[in-house]
Amino acid sequence: MSDKKIILSSSPHTFSPVDTPRIMLSVVIALVPAAAYGIYLYGLAALGVILTSITAAVLSEFLFRKLIKASTTVGDFSAVVSGLLLALVLPPATPLWMVALGAVFAIVVAKEFFGGLGANPFNPALIGRAFLLMSFPAAITSWNMPKGLALPADAVSTATPLNLIKQGNSLADVAKYFGASDIGAFYRQLFIGYRPGTIGESSILLVLLGGLFLLAIGVIQWIVPVSVLASTFVFSWLLGMDPVFSLLTGGIAFGAFFMATDYATRPLTEKGQALYGIGIGLIAVLIRKFGGYPEGVTYAILIMNVLTPFLNKLRTKKYGFLPPPKPVKPSKEATK
Amino acid sequence: MSIKTFRGGAHPSERKDRSQHAPIEKVSSVPQVVIPVNQHFGAPIQPLIKVGDFVRLGQKIADAEGRMTVPIHASIAGVVKKIEPRMQSNNIEGLCIVIEPKDTPEGESDREFMPPLDPFACRKEEALLRIREAGIIGMGGAGFPAHVKLAPTKPISLVIANAAECEPYLTIDERTLLEMPDKIVDGLSIVMKIINASEGIIAIEENKKYTIPLVQKAIEENPQVRAGMKIGIQVLKTKYPQGGEKMLITAITGRQVPSGGLPMDVGCVVSNVGTLCAIADAFREGKPLIDRGFTVTGEACKTPKNIIAPVGTVVADLAKSGVIDIDEESLSKVIFGGPMMGVAVPSTEIPVQKNTSGVLLMSVEEALRFEEKTCIRCSRCIRACPMKISPALLAIAIESGNYGEAEKIGLQDCIECGACSFVCPAHRYLVQRFRVGKQVLRALKQKEAQNVR
Repeated sequence: MSDKKIILSSSPHTFSPVDTPRIMLSVVIALVPAAAYGIYLYGLAALGVILTSITAAVLSEFLFRKLIKASTTVGDFSAVVSGLLLALVLPPATPLWMVALGAVFAIVVAKEFFGGLGANPFNPALIGRAFLLMSFPAAITSWNMPKGLALPADAVSTATPLNLIKQGNSLADVAKYFGASDIGAFYRQLFIGYRPGTIGESSILLVLLGGLFLLAIGVIQWIVPVSVLASTFVFSWLLGMDPVFSLLTGGIAFGAFFMATDYATRPLTEKGQALYGIGIGLIAVLIRKFGGYPEGVTYAILIMNVLTPFLNKLRTKKYGFLPPPKPVKPSKEATK
Repeated sequence: MSIKTFRGGAHPSERKDRSQHAPIEKVSSVPQVVIPVNQHFGAPIQPLIKVGDFVRLGQKIADAEGRMTVPIHASIAGVVKKIEPRMQSNNIEGLCIVIEPKDTPEGESDREFMPPLDPFACRKEEALLRIREAGIIGMGGAGFPAHVKLAPTKPISLVIANAAECEPYLTIDERTLLEMPDKIVDGLSIVMKIINASEGIIAIEENKKYTIPLVQKAIEENPQVRAGMKIGIQVLKTKYPQGGEKMLITAITGRQVPSGGLPMDVGCVVSNVGTLCAIADAFREGKPLIDRGFTVTGEACKTPKNIIAPVGTVVADLAKSGVIDIDEESLSKVIFGGPMMGVAVPSTEIPVQKNTSGVLLMSVEEALRFEEKTCIRCSRCIRACPMKISPALLAIAIESGNYGEAEKIGLQDCIECGACSFVCPAHRYLVQRFRVGKQVLRALKQKEAQNVR
């Protein structure tokens, strides 16, 4: 026999079949229901935004890495995920060139400039959205009417429930505005997702479905989404806002399951993840209550991303941890 | 019975079905044995014989003074052909004694065993000496001298017989449970007597639950148990590395072995079932550790089976003599031990040692190789690490040369189980980095200590 083909390597010699592309594809699968619902509500405009965003993200990653003579990484599908996530947090009527610009900014500036997958300090999709929101505030805050939703005849422009609350309307008025008979019916309407909003955020039901799928297959863990949602609930209630409405509207559910759980930008340790989630909920609620924007999930997550390296210091106590011996106080010993 | 476990771990595909139904086959005739002189963890020993000497089965052929030494015995009767460095299963060349079988001169016995010794009638010192003279070391892998382990300096309340066998592919402990449960129980009772422990537990992973009635029967029939000795069975969740000493103790008792400490610090001693059988043989038959059971399997082994062969049996000889059939075409990796912690060796010309629990012959399809990709910070390794030392963060500290931080995270606590590298979706070299990192840290500390002086 020839010994040449015998491989030598350090153990382990067997590996889990779950690899990076598989994880990224499962995130895409989890986003399909929300994306499909967005296309149903807003038609081809939404589909255009989604396809443009993904294409721009993948192409810009491919070309940028070619330009800097780095290995091609589009095969890990992370650019597909970033592109899709960005599309789902944009209004359906966003001009396509803007979408493409946002996707390029997300991939090149927010991800590749920092070294690519895993090395980016900020969530690329949210950086893309924040960049567009600051550059083109009007376009990124103009909302389309979901298919078939009838509004009162005197409605001048389409607004999200959070816009209306920000303008000083009561929850009962907002419910009536969207044609709900009472607040309970309005809750149900929001849960199903029949209201204006970004392409992927509106249906809490479908976001939950995708999130639970990722939880079930172990791609994400419960700590981050649960702490984000719980902290949003608690802090809205403490600040006198309707806590159930807070969870059912805006991008908090989508953010909790798909944005805050982004591997590279959330803390690695369990304790860090819990504090990170709580911080997101708190900041999002503070922006909704006191900030200039009606919605604050994007900035809440980006702000907490900054703290991730520090939150990573909060490690679980290692097995068999022994606290360092306390220095003996000689004076006490002597008096004894 | 409640099923216990530890926090963390991974679930590699078991692949035990290949060999679990094959009864242990005893191999006694081999063309040669190549016995590494130093198989134990501790001080080196020296050969006692010269080339050309005739040695009897069980004759002591290497030994030395010192607490951390264990002698070596001839595993076949024959003539010493060579004493020279050979490649061993730890990938290091070490002194080996090569013996070829030869018929005994007329009228002489071909074996040299010790007289049987009643472990329950002799003194503790006699018993420990017997275990040392029998050349017994931990057969689960580390090769720690048994007579040192069984003379703890702290009181022991619990002895755990380790039959978890959490390594995929390996089935020798499973077969031992099925075929010689009485010997395991006997060995366990002897160990309990020696270290004066009040309780013994045989730890079995859930995937071997079907052996419990047999083991239970063996326990009930054991004379020591009938006289009041307390021995039980604990089922553990099938999860890697459940059979790790620390994980086993924590699963069963809830206690954690303190960092840098030993099982005796929490009143426990853990012993592999193979070691317990060797201890029973050393007393009942006076037989030193000259053969051992192990699993030969893997896709490149057409005849996956469990065998007992003399210590020093060369794997290639097993194939030549038709005991196993190796698919040379597809053979791509030869591993001593299991796929998670085993050592890949350069050829099949390597001898089986006292601590060889399996020989894994991997095919091209099985011996997967991956390019290392960037860390996506998914934290799978952090959840899998049974020692809770955050492998991803530890790897970052090591890569940036920050050994102070690495030590603080727990580099020295790493048990090198490889669960982190197994689960990593980017195929990062995590445990591999920690192995090297441990050596670097040790060297740095030595340097530091010298500078202080």
